[in-house]
Formats: sequence, C-alpha cells, structure tokens
Amino acid sequence: MRDIMHLVGVYTKTTARSWFQYRVDALLRSLAVFLRESTGVIVIYFTLLKFDNLNGWNIHELLFLYSLLFLTYGIMIIFFTGLRDFGRMVRSGNFDRFILRPRGLLFQLIFANADWFAAVGHGGLGLVLFVISAGKVGVIWNFKTVVYYLFAIMGGVLIQGAVFLFLATLNIYLFETSSLKELFYYNMRKFAGYPISIFHRAVQIIIIYIMPFAFVNYFPAQYLLRKEDMEGYPQIFLYLTPVVGVGMYLLAYLFWKFSIKYYKSSGN
Amino acid sequence: MDFIEVKNVSKVFRINRRKSGVTGMLANLFVPKYEKKEAVKNLNFSIGQGEMVGFIGPNGAGKSTTIKMLSGILFPESGEITVGGFIPYKQRKTYVGSIGVVFGQKSQLQWDLPVIDSFELLKAIYRVPEGVYKKNLDRYTGMLDMGGFLNQPVRQLSLGQRMRADIVAALLHSPKIVFFDEPTIGVDVVGKETIRNFIRDLNRQDHVTMIFTTHDMQDIEKTCDRLIIIDKGSKVYDGTLPGIRERYGTTRQLDVEFVEHKEVAPIPKVEIIELDNNKKRFVFESHEVHINELMDHLLSHYNIRDINISEPEIESIIRKIYSGEYL
Amino acid sequence: MIKLAPYLAYAKKCFLGRSAYRFDHLMNILSTCLQIFIFWGIYHALYGENTEVDGITLPMVATNFVLSMGLGAVFSTNDYFFPDKIHDGSIATELLRPISVPGRMIAENAGNALFNLIFRFTPALVLSILIIGISAPAGVGMFILFLISVLLGYGVLWAISFSVQMTAFWFVNVWSITTIKNVFINVLSGSMIPLWFMPGWMKGVLYLTPFSSIYFTPVQIYLGQLTYQEIALKCAVQGMWIILIYLAGDFLWKKGQKKLVVQGG
Repeated sequence: MRDIMHLVGVYTKTTARSWFQYRVDALLRSLAVFLRESTGVIVIYFTLLKFDNLNGWNIHELLFLYSLLFLTYGIMIIFFTGLRDFGRMVRSGNFDRFILRPRGLLFQLIFANADWFAAVGHGGLGLVLFVISAGKVGVIWNFKTVVYYLFAIMGGVLIQGAVFLFLATLNIYLFETSSLKELFYYNMRKFAGYPISIFHRAVQIIIIYIMPFAFVNYFPAQYLLRKEDMEGYPQIFLYLTPVVGVGMYLLAYLFWKFSIKYYKSSGN
Repeated sequence: MDFIEVKNVSKVFRINRRKSGVTGMLANLFVPKYEKKEAVKNLNFSIGQGEMVGFIGPNGAGKSTTIKMLSGILFPESGEITVGGFIPYKQRKTYVGSIGVVFGQKSQLQWDLPVIDSFELLKAIYRVPEGVYKKNLDRYTGMLDMGGFLNQPVRQLSLGQRMRADIVAALLHSPKIVFFDEPTIGVDVVGKETIRNFIRDLNRQDHVTMIFTTHDMQDIEKTCDRLIIIDKGSKVYDGTLPGIRERYGTTRQLDVEFVEHKEVAPIPKVEIIELDNNKKRFVFESHEVHINELMDHLLSHYNIRDINISEPEIESIIRKIYSGEYL
Repeated sequence: MIKLAPYLAYAKKCFLGRSAYRFDHLMNILSTCLQIFIFWGIYHALYGENTEVDGITLPMVATNFVLSMGLGAVFSTNDYFFPDKIHDGSIATELLRPISVPGRMIAENAGNALFNLIFRFTPALVLSILIIGISAPAGVGMFILFLISVLLGYGVLWAISFSVQMTAFWFVNVWSITTIKNVFINVLSGSMIPLWFMPGWMKGVLYLTPFSSIYFTPVQIYLGQLTYQEIALKCAVQGMWIILIYLAGDFLWKKGQKKLVVQGG
C-alpha cells in the first residue's frame, strides 16, 4: 500500500512537472476547463434572463440539474483522465510499454496521465453550481435527502465511468473512435444538461436506456425537486441510479478485461 | 532446460479486410471479414543464460511478433514459451519485472522532462531499492558517458543521446534478460559504436541474456556470438556467425590480372566475367572446384600479373538468404 | 509575384486526405445535427405556445442555429497546426521551405473548409431542413450578400485562430489559451444563444467585439433583417476585423521567428 502511494506520488509529481514546463498553459489549464464546461451554464443563464422558465424549471433548478452532471464527471475524471488518451496510446504502441511494466494496467492508465487540472476545473464547476443552487431550489436537506444525494452522486460517477471505460476500450477494436465518443458521449451529455422531457421521444429513449445520463442527473434531481414533468416517467426511475451505476460499471469492467485478453491475442 | 525455450510456437493474425465505400465501412464495422496471416510458423529455439543472440530477418518475417511473445505482450497461438521458468503471458506482473526492453523506435522517456526524472519514475515503478538504483545509474551512465545530459530535457537530446538514455532506462531494475529492438536505428557511426561496445561489455561482465534485432549487420558482427535468422515466420538459420559463411558462403571469386589481353578457354563449372584492363573474374563454388587446381591451371597457361581471392560479405549472404536463393 | 501552385497542392492534399476517414465523417455529420437538434429542442420548449418573442419567430431561431452551427462545422480549423510544429521542433524544417507558413495554413484550412462545406454542411443542412425546417433566404440578392458575408466571417474566425496559434512561440503549449478562445467564440458569436436574446448592455458590448461578425452578421443578412446600408457597414466591419486581427497575428509571427527556440534538435 505504501509502495502504491509512493508510486502515485511520483507519477503525480512527474505529470505536474511536465505541465509546468509550460507555465502559462499549466496555470490557465484549470481555468480553461472551468470556462469550457461553463459554456452550457452561461448559455442557460443568458437564455433564462429572457425566458423565465424552461418547461417549468427555473434558473436555479436548471443549475442544480447541471451541477449533478458536473460533480459526478469531476469525480470520475480524477480517476479516468488516462483513459481519455487511451486510443492514441494503443495506436502509437505506447500501450505495449504499460504491459511491459510490473504494475496493473488500469492502475498505470489512471495514474500515469492523471489530469488533475481538468478534474479541478470540472469538479470545481459542479461545486460552484451546487453551492449557488442548493439553497434556492426548495430542497429540505435532512438525513434522508443527504443520504439519497450521496448515493446518487456515487451512482452517477459509476455511470459516467462505465461509459468512459467502455468507449476507451473500443479503441482496441476500432482504429479511430474520437468521433464516436464525440457523438455518443459529449453530445448526449449536452442533452443531459437540460430537463430531458423537452426533447423528442427518441432522444429521451436514448438518454434513459442507451447512454443513461438521465440517471446521472435528471432522475436524482426529480427526486429532490418533484417537477411536474416527472409524470411522464415511472416513479421507480427515481431510485435506480445506484443500481444502474454498479451494473453498468461491472459490465464495462468485464468488457475491459475481455478486451485486454483479445488485445494480447490479436496485437494491433 | 535452457533459460529461454521456444517450442513449436505459431502465431496467426486475423487481418481485417476493409471494403471501400460507406456501406462497406458499415458492413466492416458490424460484420468484419478477416483474412488469416501466419506471422510465426512452428518456431523452435532455445537460448542459454548469458547468451547474446542476434535475431534477424527481413521486414515482416515475424521478428517483432516473436519478441512480443517473448516479452509477454502477445499470446502464442499454439506452442510453448518459457523464459527463466516463467510463462511470459501468464505471470505478467512478476515476469516483466525481470526483463528489460529497448524499442529503438519508441522512447519510454518523458519527452518534456530531464532524463533523470524518467529514471526516478522507473525506479518507483519497478520498486528498485535505492542502493541498486544508485549503483546501476552511476555505472551505466558512466559507461555510456551520459553525465553531460542527464539534466537536459529529452526533447533537446540528439537521437544517439536519447537512445543511450533509453537503454539505461531499460536496465535500471537489473533485468536478467534484455530485448533490444533496433537500438541503433538512426544513430550516427560514433554513437552506434558506443552502444555496441556497451552492450557487449554488459553481456560479458554481468552475463545478462540478450536478444538483439537489427537491420544493421555490423551490430551483429560486433556484438553477437550467435545468430538466428527467420524468414516468413520460420527459422532458416541458427548458429554462429562464422558458421553462416561455411554453410552458405561457399561461393568464391578469383580476380586475375593478366599481363596481356588474352582469350581464356572455358573451364568447367567456372563462370568467367570480363572486367576492364586485362582483368577477368572467375566465380565458382568451393566444393565443386578446387582452388589449387584452378590456380595451377591458370598459372601454367597464362602470364599473370596479380591474383586476388575473395569470400562473400556476410551482408550479401544474408541478402541472398532473404531473397530465397538458398531455399 | 507569389506562386500559387504549391499552396493549391496543399489545399488539395488536405481536401483529399479528409475523404479517407469516411466513418469518422459520418459521425461528424450526425454530431453537427445533434447539436442543432439540442438547441432547437430547447427553444421549442421555451417558445411553448408563443409564435414570436421580441419579433423573432421560432423558424428564425432555427435558421440561426442551423446556419451558425453548420457554418461552425465548415469553419472548424486545426488550432494546433502551428503549435504542434513548435512543440516537436519541425518548425525549423518548415521555415527552410520556400513557402510561407501562414500561406500554407490558409491553403490547408481552405481545403478543409471546402471539404466540410460539401460533405458536412450540405448533408447536415438537408437533414436539418427535413426534420426542423428553416426560413427561406430573404431574396436572391440577399442570398448573394449572405455568401459574401459568410466568406468574411470565415476570415475573421481564421484570423483569430491564426493569431492565437502564433502565441505558441512563447507558450509552446497553447491548449488552455485555445480552449478559452473557443469558449468566447461559442458563447459570444450567437451560435448557442441567438444574439437577439442577449440583454441590451451585452449586445452593445458584443457589437464592439469581432465575435458577432463571424456567424451573426451572415445570419441577419440571410433573414433580411438588415438594410443595404447596414449590410455595407457590417461587411466593412468584418473586413476591418480581418485586417486588424491578421496584422496582430503577423506581428507575433515576425517577432516570434526572431526569438525562436527550436525544441528537440
């Protein structure tokens, strides 16, 4: 354990030093991530200055909805930034180098390239939004709601992590997956920033059953806020987030394990 | 049992045959069509501890595939591999702690950081004890004359300097076996010499087992005692370097300068090639024509000014093996 | 006299190079469409029963999104073309060629843009029209002026990218600056919030920046919201931004070459 902590420390020091070779960029990095991810929030803010609600959701409720998406993403990305560049690593053959080192593969992927700056930017945005909105959305924070909230966050982290791990693993089979990721992950996440009830039925089906971002933020937010548009969905959805999270993550992890075997038998 | 045992190893790749057009692209994605390619066919060899073996063959011969199987990156399709008692692809984490791999084409150093930072990171990854690390670092950087650039960022190094740093990086954890995959590629003459000397010294002094792939025959001539040649996935030669000349280098050529221009009558089993200035070349196989008899014949029939015998270069023999002339 | 042939060759190479990644391409078209649908969905809900807000109808909003996001897909430039060359040191060989580096950047980006226009914008446009519909242009004359203004808008966007890339001489890694630049473009150019709906003070500020010149000016011309006089003025403003920003980038380019610290060799 001490040995692992030591290695994590050295990895982190090395990555940080690499970044600080380019001082201006490193200093601006968290800010840039923060701003980039705020784009959606700024859009919501300006839009709601003009129109006072979106399908019954006011600005604070929308920000609360958004904050769940980014808090979970921020926590997930602390562990999974290394997977973001996994495709490039497989293509260039640098992944072979990881196989040649006496450490766990997922461990190396996670810590060798951990992008703490991005994590600070993402998580920071989630936190800021939560602080701004949590007191103004009429949620009574008692034991029950806090426990629910924590479980929802955990489930959301696992769902996001599962999708991320799954998309990264696809790189073992497909030559170029960045556009697939753009389409299914980043774009779906943009939908998930809004109450999904406003979108076409087809979009809702995708976001509930295929890329289940709805369980990351929409349903947990509904449990706490109880907006009218929840009527369109089964009540049970309000409680499924942790189950969906654990289930999806297990599936993604099994897929990863299977794919590493495949990689070793097929090369690339 | 030898240190490295490779028994009846085969490896088949399935290559995705791509179809063109958008529909082909989609078909490819959902119902991929594969073509089989045998990269390694029934390969057998064994290598003793402390041996230094050159492993060569033309592009696509299966060298990299074999090295990848030996180092545990790939499973063999069939057959068995053991290295120092390990099955490389099974006990990965323990096994790879005892090997070092240098890829000449792919650096494992941190591009933006000083060389020494990469070494420190590797020390932590391989759990190298402080004492061993210090000793290895001092010794290898001394042998490779690296003191001058240990604190320079990798991106500012020349190719030769970077390669030396990569070699040290692969050795810091005192591996029992080291794979060199083209460690001199792109390096200038002086740099190549430094690297070759270092590898040879390390093998002699520490008895580290080494497998060396390269396209530069001089690398092999200057470092390896033994040579394994593979082509199209199969082993075509396994033996010493002089042995290869005995077996394949049987062609001899005799260049003769005559005092005056003269026609030479045909001699059985000898090919005669006209060169300039009264010179002729006689090419023959040493087991078919006796050199003494040929020289006697020439000296007794013609006025001769100069005579010169030559054996073929290793390099040209290898080239002929690759092109299939001896098969 | 500048020889154009090598630049045309670069543009062609870029154009043809793109057609190699068909699958990627299909995904990109779908991505562009999805983004348009997201914003259309939002405004569809925001409008609810209203036919117009501040004189702006829902089809006009849809037109704004389709045109600005579609053009965004056409205009997408490789922001790391030059910084990558600084980072890996290949800028040194690049400078030895008898070809102007900014010229080559223009050529490659133009090849790219042409490819995107034909194979990305057009399909995305057709899909969007089929699914959500957009307003027709305000007339043939306006449509021609719209095209001119689109070209100028691209010029503004390109000049901004060019100038930001030139900061790589000093910072080498420009991921952060580039990202921040793109945030400004996304939020302030009208492609995500139609600028009609910005608060009054914000509109005032925006008209003083180059961002509204990129997509919003062409969109306004397309919808026939501007008089000929206004169009002339707005296009002149676009032209002015191109010149100003390009000159700034060119200044950095000349200064940068003097202090060039080539990495890696």
